[in-house]
Amino acid sequence: MKKYMVMECRLSYAVVLDNEGHFLKVANRHYEVGQTVTDVIEMQIPQSSTRKKIISKPMYILAAVAACMVLILTSVFQMGKMKFASVYMTINPEVRIDVNRWDTVVELDGVNADGDDLIFGYDYKKKDLDLVVNELVDRAIEMGYLHEGGQIFLALDAKNDDWIISRTETLNESLNEYVREKLSVTIEVVDKKSQSNRVVIPIIPDKSDYGDSDYDEETTKAPMPAISETVYVTNSDDIDDSNYGPNNNSLTDYDDTDYGSNNDGVTDYDDTDYGPNNDGVTDYDDTDYGPNNDGVTDYDDTDYGSNNDGVTDYDDTDYGSNNDGVTDYDDTDYGPNNDDVTDYDDTDHGSNNDDVTDYDDTDYGSNNDGVTDYDDTDYESNNDVITDYDDTDYGPNNDGVTVYDDSEYVPNNDSVNDYDDSDYVPRNDGAIDYDDSDFGYNYDDGDSSYFSDYDD
Amino acid sequence: MQSEHQIIKSVYAAKEDSLKADDLIRDYIPFIRSEASKCISKPCTEQDDEFSIAMIAFHEAILGYDRNRGAFISYASMLIRSRIIDYQRKELRHQGSISLYTETGEDGQTIMDELEDEHDRIEEYANLEATKEEIEELSAVMAEYGVSFSDVADNSPKQERTMEACVSAINYAKENRHLLDEMLKTKKLPMAKLVLGSGAERKTLERHRKYILAMLLIYSNGYEIIRGHLRHFLKKKGGMPV
Repeated sequence: MKKYMVMECRLSYAVVLDNEGHFLKVANRHYEVGQTVTDVIEMQIPQSSTRKKIISKPMYILAAVAACMVLILTSVFQMGKMKFASVYMTINPEVRIDVNRWDTVVELDGVNADGDDLIFGYDYKKKDLDLVVNELVDRAIEMGYLHEGGQIFLALDAKNDDWIISRTETLNESLNEYVREKLSVTIEVVDKKSQSNRVVIPIIPDKSDYGDSDYDEETTKAPMPAISETVYVTNSDDIDDSNYGPNNNSLTDYDDTDYGSNNDGVTDYDDTDYGPNNDGVTDYDDTDYGPNNDGVTDYDDTDYGSNNDGVTDYDDTDYGSNNDGVTDYDDTDYGPNNDDVTDYDDTDHGSNNDDVTDYDDTDYGSNNDGVTDYDDTDYESNNDVITDYDDTDYGPNNDGVTVYDDSEYVPNNDSVNDYDDSDYVPRNDGAIDYDDSDFGYNYDDGDSSYFSDYDD
Repeated sequence: MQSEHQIIKSVYAAKEDSLKADDLIRDYIPFIRSEASKCISKPCTEQDDEFSIAMIAFHEAILGYDRNRGAFISYASMLIRSRIIDYQRKELRHQGSISLYTETGEDGQTIMDELEDEHDRIEEYANLEATKEEIEELSAVMAEYGVSFSDVADNSPKQERTMEACVSAINYAKENRHLLDEMLKTKKLPMAKLVLGSGAERKTLERHRKYILAMLLIYSNGYEIIRGHLRHFLKKKGGMPV
C-alpha cells in the first residue's frame, strides 16, 4: 500500500510525499506534519477551459475539413468504380465489359459459358476499354474462338447517347486497325438499346460467313468456300433468324417443336393430348369415353342404370319404392311409415305413431305429444306443460303469470295495478278523469239531450 | 454586480498567490461549510472529512475558474458537491472491509487496540516528532532557495517518462556528490551538469527544477526518515544514469 508522508499543512490542502517520490496536494483531513497516512484524496486541478478551447477549435475545423476530404475522396473513388457503360462483345463467346466514365474497365463478366472461358484468368484491372477489347480478341484468336473471316459483334449500352455515338466510331476504328494485320473478320458495333444504328463493316466482302453464325462451331473450322456474295444488308436484322413462330423474339427456338395451340415456346414433347380436353396436360389415363367424359376416367363406372351418375352403385340392391341408390339391406320396414328406417322397435301404435317408440310415453293428457310430462303437475286451464309451481294466480286473469302486485280487484281488473286509479265512479274506466268533476251528472257535456244537465 | 466583480478579482489573484488563496478560502469557510452540509444533509463540522473535501474542492474551484464561463460561486458550489459525491461513492466501496477501529470485544476494544500496545504508541509519537523536525528543517532549507512544498507539489512530475528523466538526473547528482556540495554552496541547481551527466532532456529537467532541487536536498545530508520513506524510490526506477 502506498504511504504518504505529510510534508506541509495548509488551510485547504496538505502536501504529501508518497514513497515513489511524488509530491501531491491532497485534502487536509486534519493531518499533522510528519504523519504518515495511507488514504488520501488528491486535489484534481481542473484544466483551464480557455486553454482547452484554444486547442480544440482548430482541431474541430481540421476534423471537419478532414471529414469533407474523406467524403469527396470516397465519392470520387466510388465514381471510378461505378459502372458508367457496358460493352457486350460477342464473337462466339459473349462477354460484358463494364467501364466507368473514363473508359476504364471496372468489371468483366462472361455472358455465356464460352465467355467465362475467354475471360478466365484475364486481369482487366485499370485497363482501358480499347486495350481490353483488343486483348480479348487476341485471346479469342488464341483459344480458337475467332477465325479468319469471323465476326466480332460489339453492342454498346449506356445511358449517355453521346458516349455510344463516339464510342461506336472509335471502337470500330481502333479494333479494325488492331485486327486488320492478324485476321480478316467482320466487326459490328451496335447500340444495344435501339439496335437501330447498326453498323456493319464487311472487311472481306468475297467471303461468306453465313455458316459462321452460331449453328455449329465445327463446320466453321474448315474454311467455307465462297458460295455466294455475302449479303449484308444494313438494318436487315434477322439474317440468322429462322424463328417464325409466335414466340418470335429473335432468339431462334431451334428446339421449339411446339406447333400446337398451346404454342408457348415450351415444347410439349409429352403432349399427346389430342382430345377435346386438349389442355396440354396429356390425359394418358383418360380412357373415359362416355357421356360423363370429363377427363376423369371412370374405371369403376359400371353404373349403367337410371342413376347413372358415374358413381357405381355396386351395392345398389335397392329396388324398392325408396330406390334412392342407398341399399336398404336392413329395410324390413314394410309399414305405412316405410321410410327405410327399420322400425324394429316400433311398438308405437298410438296416435303418435311416428316410429319413435314411446316406451316412456306415459303422457296421456291433452298434451299427449310423446314427450312424457313427468313433471307436468300443471292441470289447470293453463295446462301448457310448463308447471306453474309459482302460479298462485287464481283470478280471472289466470294466465300463469302470478300477479303478486295485483291488488286491483275492481271492474278494471286487468292485472295492471291502478294505484293511481282514483277513478271509482260509474265511469270507472281506469283512465283517471282528473277533470271529471262529473259524478253521475255530466255538468258541461253540452249534450242537450241529456236530461239532467245544469247548463241545459 | 460590484461584489461579483470583487470576487472574480480575488479569485484571479488567488490563482497566482497561494497566500491570497488561503485568505479567500478563509473568508468563504461559512459558504464551504453550508455547501458541505447540504450534501451530507446534516450540519457539517470542521472535523468531518466532507469539510476537508469541500475545502480542497473550493481551492480547485479557484484554480479552475474561468470568468467567461459563469459565476464563481455557482461553479464552486457545483465542484464541492461533485467532489463530496465522489468521496461518498468511494467510501461506499469500502463498506465491506472492516475498519481497524471497529469494536471487536465486549469491552469496547478495537482491532487497533489489540494490534498495538502502549510502548508502540510512545515510539510512534517520538517518530512523529522526529519526522516533524526533519521536515521543518528541510522546509527551512528549501525556503533559502525560495521553494515551498506547495511549489514542489505543483512541480512534481506526473508522467512516468518525465519521472524517469528526473530520477536519472537525481541519481547522477547522488553519485557525484560534488554536485550536491556545489548546489549547497551556490544555492543554485547545477542544471547544465545534470543535463550533461544524466542525458535527460534539458527542457524536461528545467520544467521540474523545483522538484529536482527538493529531492537533491533530501539526498544531500541527513533527512534519514524521509529517505527511509523513499527507500524504494530511486532503486526501483532503475537508478542507472543513461
